[in-house]
Amino acid sequence: MGIGIAAISYYLPEKTLTNDDLAALYGDWTAEKIFNKTGICRRHIADDEECTSNLAEKAALNLFNEYGVKPETIDFILLATQSPDYFLPTTACILQDRLRIPRNSGALDFNLGCSAYVYGLALAKSLIDGDMANNVLLITSEIYSKHIHPMDKSTRTIFGDGASATLIKGDQNESKIGKFIFGTDGSGASHLIIPAGGMKIRSSMETKIEEMDENGAIRSKDNIYMNGPEIFNFTISVVPKAVNDVLAKNELDIEDIDLFVFHQANKYMLDYLRKKIKIPEDKYYINLKDIGNTVSSSIPIALKMALCEGKLKKGDNVMLVGFGVGLSWAATVIKW
Amino acid sequence: MLNKEKLALIEEMLDEEEGSLKGETRLDEIESWDSMAVISLIALVDEHFGKPLSASQIKKFKTIQDILDYMG
Repeated sequence: MGIGIAAISYYLPEKTLTNDDLAALYGDWTAEKIFNKTGICRRHIADDEECTSNLAEKAALNLFNEYGVKPETIDFILLATQSPDYFLPTTACILQDRLRIPRNSGALDFNLGCSAYVYGLALAKSLIDGDMANNVLLITSEIYSKHIHPMDKSTRTIFGDGASATLIKGDQNESKIGKFIFGTDGSGASHLIIPAGGMKIRSSMETKIEEMDENGAIRSKDNIYMNGPEIFNFTISVVPKAVNDVLAKNELDIEDIDLFVFHQANKYMLDYLRKKIKIPEDKYYINLKDIGNTVSSSIPIALKMALCEGKLKKGDNVMLVGFGVGLSWAATVIKW
Repeated sequence: MLNKEKLALIEEMLDEEEGSLKGETRLDEIESWDSMAVISLIALVDEHFGKPLSASQIKKFKTIQDILDYMG
């Protein structure tokens, strides 16, 4: 018996934002240019009244329905989000009640972005391994669109909203979550940040003042700021090493990996990483054309899509690498 | 690498016509030099010259010659 992934589902909001919509707003970028540079055609965007718990609940209900999972069998909820419903209480606690998960379950939120799914798998594995839980529901749910200024083309072209739900169980015959590597570099905290709204700089009239940067993008201190060039530099410096390190830790060679599923940041970055690491194209999964970069949900959504397309099969070795805001990264290898 | 070859790489990256860029061409006069091109330049310098290129370094570049000099 091993600790493995028993089920994955996801949920995307109905409303979409297309490249034509964005090109009409920004003028200097055509829809074609946005697609050529990002590999994204459209993103799903939550409605005004839709919040993180709604997306999370729908992803979990999809999982319960698709796989016949009974909520009463869940004994731990892990929720990755950077757009919680409230500062407090914990959104995972609200989900316990809404999903009718037993009251003797544990529940917690953890604040990570694009690396969160891999961290969540590590937390779930250790809860089961430590005999603290048997059936862990790992949810990722993110609504970056509510953090993004509508006129900030650097982020609005890339990020899409979405949620995923994964069931991790300790009684799996074949699926097995392997060993992990982790990385953190807080010196890059300011490269992807919402400067105001927390306790350090409270949201105020002053932080709501909109400013235009040298690239013509508009945002306030209450919005997400991303330093694209520095995030790109960070990624190309840590991801190749993370790949080598996680291979070594799992005593595998690059040829032993059947499918590579990296955080779906944008197609340009993913293509460059693939070339740099020398991964064969047919073993490298990219699918963000119709959803964009869904932050913590990008890896589980990609896994589910790869499963549905028959690109991920039982017994495959699949490498997951998450990287982004923090700066933070993590990788693991899963026997599917 | 010859300057001519480096120029060809930059022209290809920016979708500019062959031979259209000179050392003295100012970056702010090139229409395709934008925030997306900055990221492409980081990738180009990493791939062909194995050098890191920070955002603050790029801000100091005024002309194509500055990029050629950095490529070394």
